[in-house]
Order: sequence, then structure tokens, then C-alpha cells
Amino acid sequence: MISRTRQGLEGRRSAFCRTPFGCLVGLFASRMFRGGGDAEAGELDIGVGVILILLAMPGLLVSLLMFEKYGSLVRFLRGQGPFNPFSATIPDEYFFIILSLVVTGAATLWRWDAIFLDRRDYINLVPLPRAIFFANLFAILCLAGVFAFVANAASLFLFPVAVVGSQPSLSLFLRFAAGHAAAVFSASVFSFFLIFAPAGLLTALLPSAAFRRVSLAIRFVSVIALSVLLATSFTVPDLLKRVSVTNAHRIVILPPISFLGIARTVWVGRNDTFSVAMAWAAMIAVGLSALIAIVAYTFTFRRSFMRLPELADARPMPRISPSISPIAFLHKRLWRSPSQRACCKFVARSLLRSTVHLQTLLCFLAVGLVVSAESLSSLSLHFFVESNTSPPVEFLSIPFILSYCLLVGMRFAFEIPLDLRANWIFRLWLDPDRHDSRSVARRVLLMFSLFCLGPLTFLCTLEFWGWTTALLHTTVWCACTVVLVEILLVRFRKVPFTCQYPPFQSHSPLIVVGYLFGFFIFQTWLPRLDQWSVYDPILAVWFVPLLGSVLGGLSWYRSQMLDMDKRLTFENVSTTIFL
Amino acid sequence: MAPPRSDTTTAGVRLLSQRKAAILEAKNLCKFYGSVLAVQNVTFTLEPGQVLGYLGPNGSGKSTTVKIVTGLLEPTHGEVTYKGQNIPKDLIAYRKILGYVPEEPNLYPHLTGEEYLDMVGTLRAMPQSRKGTRITSLLQLFSLWPHRHFALGSYSKGMRQKILLIAALMDNPDVLILDEPLSGLDVTSVLIVKSLIQALSAQGKSVFYCSHILEVVEKVCSRLIVLRKGHVLAHGPTAVVREKIGKSSLEDAFLQLVEEIDVTQVVNYIVDVVACS
Repeated sequence: MISRTRQGLEGRRSAFCRTPFGCLVGLFASRMFRGGGDAEAGELDIGVGVILILLAMPGLLVSLLMFEKYGSLVRFLRGQGPFNPFSATIPDEYFFIILSLVVTGAATLWRWDAIFLDRRDYINLVPLPRAIFFANLFAILCLAGVFAFVANAASLFLFPVAVVGSQPSLSLFLRFAAGHAAAVFSASVFSFFLIFAPAGLLTALLPSAAFRRVSLAIRFVSVIALSVLLATSFTVPDLLKRVSVTNAHRIVILPPISFLGIARTVWVGRNDTFSVAMAWAAMIAVGLSALIAIVAYTFTFRRSFMRLPELADARPMPRISPSISPIAFLHKRLWRSPSQRACCKFVARSLLRSTVHLQTLLCFLAVGLVVSAESLSSLSLHFFVESNTSPPVEFLSIPFILSYCLLVGMRFAFEIPLDLRANWIFRLWLDPDRHDSRSVARRVLLMFSLFCLGPLTFLCTLEFWGWTTALLHTTVWCACTVVLVEILLVRFRKVPFTCQYPPFQSHSPLIVVGYLFGFFIFQTWLPRLDQWSVYDPILAVWFVPLLGSVLGGLSWYRSQMLDMDKRLTFENVSTTIFL
Repeated sequence: MAPPRSDTTTAGVRLLSQRKAAILEAKNLCKFYGSVLAVQNVTFTLEPGQVLGYLGPNGSGKSTTVKIVTGLLEPTHGEVTYKGQNIPKDLIAYRKILGYVPEEPNLYPHLTGEEYLDMVGTLRAMPQSRKGTRITSLLQLFSLWPHRHFALGSYSKGMRQKILLIAALMDNPDVLILDEPLSGLDVTSVLIVKSLIQALSAQGKSVFYCSHILEVVEKVCSRLIVLRKGHVLAHGPTAVVREKIGKSSLEDAFLQLVEEIDVTQVVNYIVDVVACS
């Protein structure tokens, strides 16, 4: 019977896909997943399956961690007794809601450009006698559903099993699962439409050139907002316990806290008027965001689609006057050979103009800003007022955090290809044996990090703690940044953006762990060492052998590399994803 | 193991030996992609002031030959020499005398026309002042001056082709390798480029001209190579190739040499399929 039902469903699906409407929906849905629009560059075609796994992975990992907290055997071994699942799990439920918001929001931001039709769609579809409005709308709604389901798929089952799986009552299990599912699913849908709605509104309100710039800013702010949500997910439930009832009434109707009301209403019924009010607020938020998104989409669809041929970047690009620009001055001093100068200009322009690359960079920077803000928020004000005290680690860590995120973001962006068919010009002109692509990448990384963050670091420290501290702190930070750049580029041998994506390899996850560990070192250990050196400048001398040994090790490692591994390449056959 | 030589190749070698002062020589070029043959035993010389036409249907190996001649691709067998020197010995010095227009106008869409030309000039190590003057003059002459600050992504195919032509010409190269240089150009630009090729040839520049447009090849090229499935079918002065096959026009000669199908018959079939209810 199951196989007959499956065959029936499969038959209906293939029949639907064969209709003109189904064909269009399939086309738009695959574009939303895989890109394939105008941007031959920067589209990471990793397959639908991998995308879905990536979306589901955070929920799965967090759900598995719940067994360690709520598992009956673990609780027994710890000597913990029975608990009320509906009140004890509130902080975790809140975390799942946030996770759902963040994962769906991040996925929507990632596919932001693919939601609306692009120039290639216009060229292919305009001559065809088919209405494409409903097909794209249907594909968008399907995408919202898929994101919402996949982001929460693991927790829909595993979280209830972890919390109430050992209870004998099936109805309790189902009630808990239904409450959790309703809350996280609503949160996902809300997140999708909340991020999608501005895209529609901005398209309607702004000229195309302005839309591009503003949309990038909106995405940057959205990443910051999502990072803030994630960073505060553990503190908000505690905060809610401490606020007064009057204030709590005002706070809890705001998303994402209000989504807790949906879960609570399903769990404990309509008797809890407070939860019901929260649930209503959450439902209104979901409805409003969906309504705004769909109305904006409806009003802007025709306008944006019919104007697609006019949006071919037909505007002068922003320019910096070479005579007055500090970049021009640095350019002449830093890049000696013609090929270095050409590559540097190319890299800088690509980073600042290509939406995909800038978006990647801003995403990393947003994470850095959020972590820095969190670090600063834990400081008390007397550190800044009393000039006698030495600077706290939290303050000293900020340039370290920002430079780490900026450099890793840029390094990551270097791996994103930019119209590979156009790289023939570099193949033609660069000598693989002589061109020092590493030197170009190093100088670009240092220019972006040291020249942007260096003066700020120095001036901020000078303002509060004087010349000596400012000089010491900036010097130590600069030295650490230089070493980080060397680590990031130890096996680098290409012109940025000119190779295809690096292949995924078995040790790629280890590299990611390495980057997380590096972040930990930059956020915690190095600022602490920096603090000691600021407290007692003699201790700063220790940085010399420490960083010198790292540089020496890297130099020795490169000397052991074969010459062919140092040659300039346009085929990405490196053994690791970043190195 | 070297592949066997055909009669045509032997004839090519004989022709080669008769020529003197060749600036560029390709000797027995062979290229296999895995087991797939792209070109085999292609031999030719390019002399100063000569425009060598390179003809062939799609997939005959024209672009592969062009990539080998520019040094973008290594041949499986054979070699390309510039003034008697094998080009891989000093590829960058060789490319300094080369102007290359590729088959497809693939350019970085986020750069402006002026920025792209500046990048090419810098890569060619042109002095700053000369680079600036040349870019300005050529952009004006090719009617791209008003568009110089616009992103290349917004350029039409013809405009991008003009950018490639400017990039190829801006450093006054001795050898021009043009792969379908008239693709996408408007009528006026086509006339200009055709005359330009002849003028450059008169100045002693060597031009390797790869095209499908037989009418242009007939007017512009002094010598011809006709290629089919990677093999050289005919090689010699344009008039000689035409006369050898006994056809009045190059188009007829080309069809006689490379096509195995009856064009009229194919057209009739297509009309039948389209009109079939």
C-alpha cells in the first residue's frame, strides 16, 4: 500500500512537472537553490542535497546535545529527579526558535538575489506565451516551506524524544512535539518573509542602482541582527525571569520571544492568557511579514521584470581620483612590478564591486562586530574613566577579533571565483614561475586590515590610556596580524578569484575546526598576552620569539614544498579548502 | 611516438623551407584532449607583413591552434617558434610582441572599459604616459569614449569586441592573432577593422586571422590554411587555393573542401520539419 501511495504521488509529481506551470516552478525553484542567473561567478553549485544537509545540521547537532541534558539515564546518574518538561525546557525552546530564525534567515540572505527573476530568465521567458508571476510566487512559497521544514526537521523529532521520550504517555509526547513544531516552524516562516519583504519593498521604492547598494546594506544589517539574536539566545531567558511583570508584558509580545507563546499555548492550553497573548502576537507577526512580502512582490514583480533589460549595470562605476586618493599613493609604493600593480587593482575592485564577494566579506565582518560588541558590553565604565588602570582584555581583544574576521573573510572571498572564462587575460600575461601571487594577496590583506583598523586601534587606545599603551598595543596587534596573514597564505599560489571552488576533502572539517581554534586564540589568548605586555612593557619582548618561531616554522614549511606547489595556478587542485 | 605525416604536411614543410625570415613558425602541431584529436600536423609560417587566414568549420581545431600559438595551451607534439626561438623559453617576452583577440569576448563584468584596458596595459608593462595616451586615443577612435566609465557587464557584444581589439593593439604588437575579430561588430566597425588589418599588414605587422567569414578572409588574407577535423586540407596563397580546387569563389572552394553535406538538401529538411503540422 505504501509503495502504491508512493507511486501515485510520484506519478502526480511528474505529471505536474510536465505541465507548463510545473515546468516553470521547477525552473525557478532550482534557480533559487543553485543560482544560475547572470552571475557565472560566485555561484557555488553544491547540489540541493548538500544545501539541505547544511541547513539541517545545526538543528541536528543541538538536538543531540539535548540528550545529554534531558536524557533519563544521564539525569539518573547525576541524581536529578523528575522535572516539568513544559517549564524546564523554556530556555532550550527559545534557543531552538532562535536557531530556526537564524538558519532560515541566513539561507534566505544567501539566496536573496535568486528569489527575483534575473536577466537570463527575462531573455529565455519573455518570448514564451506563459504567465510566470504565479509560478515564481509558488516557487517562493515552496522555498519558504522547504527552508522551514529542513531547518527544523531534526529537532521536530529529536528534541521531544530527548525531553519526554522516557515518559510513558504518548499524548504528552505528541503535545510537546506539536508545541515545539508550531513554534519553530512559525519562526522559520517569519524569518523567511521578514528578510524577503524588504527585497520586494526596496525594489518597488528605489531605482535599480540605489537598490543594489541599499540591498547590500540591508543584508549587512540583517547578518548583524541574526548574529545578535544568536549571541543573546542564552541570556534572554534569564533576563525575562528578572524583569518586572509590567515590562515583561511589553517585551514578550516582540518576536522572537513571542514565539515561545505558541509553544506554551499548545503545551498548557488556552488557560494561560499570558501565553495566548504571546501566541497571538507571534501569529500576527508571521501574518504581517508574509502579507507585506507577498503584496510587495505582487506590486513590484511586473515592474522589476519588465525593467530587467535596462538594469545591465548601465551606469558609470564609482571611481577614486588617483591624484588625491591615499590608495593611489600606497599603490605606487607597495606594488613594484607591473603585474603586481595590475593584480592588486583587480583584487581591490573585485572585492569592493562584486556583490557576492563583498557580501561574504561583510558577513564575516558582521560576525566580528557582534562578537566585539558582546565583548565590550561586558566591560564596566570605570575602565574608560580611570586612567590609572590598565586596559582590560575585552577592550584589547576588539582589534584582534575584527582583524581575524576581516582577514579570514577576505581569504574566504579569494576562493570565490569571478567569471572564470575571463581569466584568460591572466593566463596570457602572468608568468607562472615568476609571478608572486602570494605577495599580492599578502599586501592586499595587510592593506585592508592594517590601514583600516590600525589607526582606529591606535587612536582609541591613545584616547583612554596614553601614548605608551597605544603604541605597545598597536604594535603587538600589527605583529599578530602579520603572522596571521602568513598563516592564511602559506600555500596560496593563485590570483584571487581566478580559480574554481576548492574541492571538498576529507580533512576540510579539520580546517574549519582550525579556524575556530584560531578565532579562540585571537579572541582570548593573544589579548591576554597583549595585556601583560601593556602592563609591563618588558614582557612584550616575549612576543618576538613567539611570533618569530611561528614565522620561522612557516618559512621552513614553504622551503620544504616542491617548486611545482609554488607555481601560479589557475586550476584549484590545492589539498585544502583555504590553505 | 610521433604521428605519421600526411602529404599535405609534407607539402607544408616544403612550403616552409621555401619561405625566409618567418617571424612565427608552427611545426607539426598536434593536440590531443585525452584520446580526442583536436589538431594534427599543422605546419605554417607567418612572415612580416603577411595576413594568414585560418579557415575551418566548427570543431575543426582553429581555436585550439590559436591557443597553442599564443602559448595558452601546450601542444602534444610539435612546437611554435618565434624568430627561431621555441616560445616556451621566454613566453612573456614572446607575448609582449603579441596582440590577441580571443574567440569570445570574455571580460570581467565589474571592471569598466577604461579600467580593463589600464589593467592590460599594466600587465604588458607599458609606460604610464604611453598607456594613458593610447587608451584615450583608441577609446575615442573606436567610439567607446562616452562609455569608458561604464561596467563591461553593460557593454554590448560589439563594444566588448572593440575593447578586445583595443587591448590587442594598444602596445603596437608585431604579431596579431585574431580569432573571429569581427564578431558582433557593426557595419562601420567591420569596414574599419578590415582596412586596419590591411594597413597594419602594410606596416609590416604579421596577422594570423581566424574566421568563418569567407568574404572577409578572401579580401584581407594573403595566404590561407583550410582545416577540417584537425587536419590541414589546403595551404597556400588565397588565389592558388581557390584555383587549385577550380572554384570561382572562396565560398565554393571552402564548401568543396570541408563540407560533406548538401547545403540545399539540409535547408529543405529544416523547412519541412518546421512546417510539418
